[in-house]
Amino acid sequence: MDVKLPQLAEGVESGTVVSILVAEGQEVKKDQPFMELETQKAVGSIPAPSAGVVTKVHVKQGMEVSVGQVLISIDAAPAASTGGATAPPRASKPAAQPATAQPQPSSSATTTSAGATDYRYESKSGVAPPAPPSIRKIAADLGIDLTRVKGSEAGGRINLGDLRDYVQRLQQIALQRAPGAEQPSGQAHQTPASSESVDFSKWGPVHREKMSPLRRTVSRRMVESWTTIPKINQFADADISNLLALRKKNAPGYEKQGVHLTLTAFLLVVLGRTLKKHPRANSSLDESTMEIVYKNYCHIGVAVDTEGGLIVPILRDVDRKNLAQLSQELHAITERTRQRKISIEELQGGTFTISNQGSIGGSHFTPIIYAPQVAILGVGQGQPKPVAIDGKIGVRTILPLCLAYDHRVLDGADAVRFLKDVISGLENFSEADLQLK
Amino acid sequence: MDPTTTEILVLGAGPGGYTAAFYAADKGKKVTLVEQNPRLGGVCMNVGCIPSKALLHATAILREGKESSHRGIDFGPARVEVEKLRNWKESIVEKLGQGIKSLAQHRQVEVVHGRGHFEDSRTLRVETTAGQKFIRYEKAIIAAGSKPAMPHAFDLGNKRVMTSTEALDLPDVPQDLLIVGGGYIGMELGTVYAALGSNVVVLEALPSILTGVDADLVRPVSRVAQKAFKEIRLNTKVLKMATAGKQIKVTTEVNKQQRDELYDRVLVSVGRVPNLADLGLENTKVTKDDKGFIQCNAQLQTEDPNIYAVGDATGGTLLAHRAFRQGKIAVETILGDASAFENVVIPAVVFTDPEVAWCGLTETEAEQKSIEVQVAKFPWGASGRALTFDRPDGLTKLVIEPETERILGVGIVGVGAGELIGEGVLAVEMGATVRDLADSVHPHPTLSETLMEAAESFYGTATHTLSRRSS
Repeated sequence: MDVKLPQLAEGVESGTVVSILVAEGQEVKKDQPFMELETQKAVGSIPAPSAGVVTKVHVKQGMEVSVGQVLISIDAAPAASTGGATAPPRASKPAAQPATAQPQPSSSATTTSAGATDYRYESKSGVAPPAPPSIRKIAADLGIDLTRVKGSEAGGRINLGDLRDYVQRLQQIALQRAPGAEQPSGQAHQTPASSESVDFSKWGPVHREKMSPLRRTVSRRMVESWTTIPKINQFADADISNLLALRKKNAPGYEKQGVHLTLTAFLLVVLGRTLKKHPRANSSLDESTMEIVYKNYCHIGVAVDTEGGLIVPILRDVDRKNLAQLSQELHAITERTRQRKISIEELQGGTFTISNQGSIGGSHFTPIIYAPQVAILGVGQGQPKPVAIDGKIGVRTILPLCLAYDHRVLDGADAVRFLKDVISGLENFSEADLQLK
Repeated sequence: MDPTTTEILVLGAGPGGYTAAFYAADKGKKVTLVEQNPRLGGVCMNVGCIPSKALLHATAILREGKESSHRGIDFGPARVEVEKLRNWKESIVEKLGQGIKSLAQHRQVEVVHGRGHFEDSRTLRVETTAGQKFIRYEKAIIAAGSKPAMPHAFDLGNKRVMTSTEALDLPDVPQDLLIVGGGYIGMELGTVYAALGSNVVVLEALPSILTGVDADLVRPVSRVAQKAFKEIRLNTKVLKMATAGKQIKVTTEVNKQQRDELYDRVLVSVGRVPNLADLGLENTKVTKDDKGFIQCNAQLQTEDPNIYAVGDATGGTLLAHRAFRQGKIAVETILGDASAFENVVIPAVVFTDPEVAWCGLTETEAEQKSIEVQVAKFPWGASGRALTFDRPDGLTKLVIEPETERILGVGIVGVGAGELIGEGVLAVEMGATVRDLADSVHPHPTLSETLMEAAESFYGTATHTLSRRSS
């Protein structure tokens, strides 16, 4: 039977093969993971729908595969060895096992270069995309889903040139991804060639640990962001003395309602308002069309430190929620993230990110933007500092801030204005906003 | 007895089976083809497409001769020698059967004659005239085909109650012939027997003959048949049949009124059933659907990993050319190619007078599935070529996706529609637009122009009609 890629999650139509865990001729058990797949949001394993012998592996590491594409073929093992394991060979209906998703830190709704491959053929008549049988045969041989290929001819008909263009785009994407995706076994081709030949054991004992898929994805995404986005870091300080006093005053009332007031919750309130005023900081760049995509929603990602690594869950519609709601949601989603109970959907669709190191004790730092977002706010720990107030030295609690932004979309002046509004929002936080209903 | 071994075993040597066997052999596989009949070719060649078309062609001249007198050419009464006609038809079938046999020999496909029975997922037992033979295979392709359905109530054990198989054998020309079922088989054979001189009565339980075909394509066939046949009785059920001397007494019911009539012969053409009884499928993992056909996926794989199925045995539309394609896909799947029976346009032709042919999406289907389409039509009354044939009773139409002007389906009724539909298949398979068809020059004067003119009528610019953009 042919095992096809099942629908993994709502809206997740494709993924990249991170690693293949089986070889041709190998026997697999039912539900045994045979492949690791990275989708837009997560790395997960795909379980075998039935027991048998892998007769053919149709995909390769680094290959982009879409829902319905044949991944491997399994021949149900001879009756003697499988016993009761019946293999339903209905390739058209593979057991729709959702990939066990390991969340990973990217709030990006699409991968950077995916603009070119986002196209999906849609027909009101429900028919397959128009393409001559010769082209359909080539596509089938190459494992290409023609609904993703944009036809250039009358009526959207796909010709060989369209297919070639599509394959070339896929190759480009694969090349861009190659640093992480093609060497998932950790045999580190992602670092320059020189480092791979270094024998560290010459200078003392070492041990090696394979990077987890989550770690590999973090690594790849960071390289991608670092190398593709021309970014600027804008530093600033906010005086949060008044804000802390307000929090202290109102915290008991909130605690009675079971709500713990954190600085991040205050930041969310302020950012929700500021992003509405500065929609460009809430936008994305569509490189395929050279358009700036403004979003009429404000979903802010909050970086959470977990045992497995960094994960960024998203709080929805931050601009439409009050402090109490945001505090509660933040607490709940952070807990679920730490327990790794978060779903892929909850990691998708972010428009801006906060990375708050304050609870651990950081100062100014330069965060990396989560493409395709265009800005991220890095927040350190508020510390008492001597400051000049009306010509006199006073001690105030100063919060270190750093806005990292994509200079293709935002200019320095935009960033300064944005930060000024954030600072003003924090320094002049109104007590009225703290009223519990 | 030690079993013989083979790589690919094909059960049934009809269109699906021999195509699969030959293709697998061409690809270097060791193939064994099992067929219970002495002659290869299956239903299509022996008791289906080929003999029926031979008889339709041979008898067409009887119809055309009669029509000819008003054009000033008169042949006088025709004389039919049934035995000679039967022998001629038989010679065609024999020649084609020999052809298949020799093609098998040249490809070194081993042909075993006898009934097949699956012992398990890897072994077929064949009852040959020389005793039992066990064949152990790596993969099997079931292409067992189908046979005419004979409802128990009609099965009198009387030779005068026939299926298409017996009717094609042309036992005689009955004076009064009743055809139960106004589908394509009933209508085609009715056309043959009416031309030979029988008084043909067609009974159909549903409100129309050729159910499922677009009404505007059926209309010209109904008109001709109503003249050529004694009667077409719709919404009519057959309650009972009984032997009455040398005739059959048939009790029918229309509008709750019962009626007894006597017929010299009765042709039962009420559908077809798969040949899957006694195949030993219970010894395999092969499963059947609720109509008794084998279930398989787009790669023609059954639930048994070693067994594939193609053609009529898998249900759907029971057509030889569908089986041809499926036979190839099953072999390609076995060979590990990415192949699937998906998005394939399967044309259909009814060889009545006039012929009806269609491919892709039909208007009926679009309506059932609530698919919004536009339809462009060209009536043959405006075709010079149709008038020279003295057959203006035709229609060519295109079913079009409005947004893209892509041709999703083609329907044709008229003389030679079966030969014309090939262009429609190409248009649909190629994803052609109406403009593509309109701008391709078609030879004049031919019926193929009707396709171009239907396309032009979509734009309101058909030269030979005052067409509006129809919808």
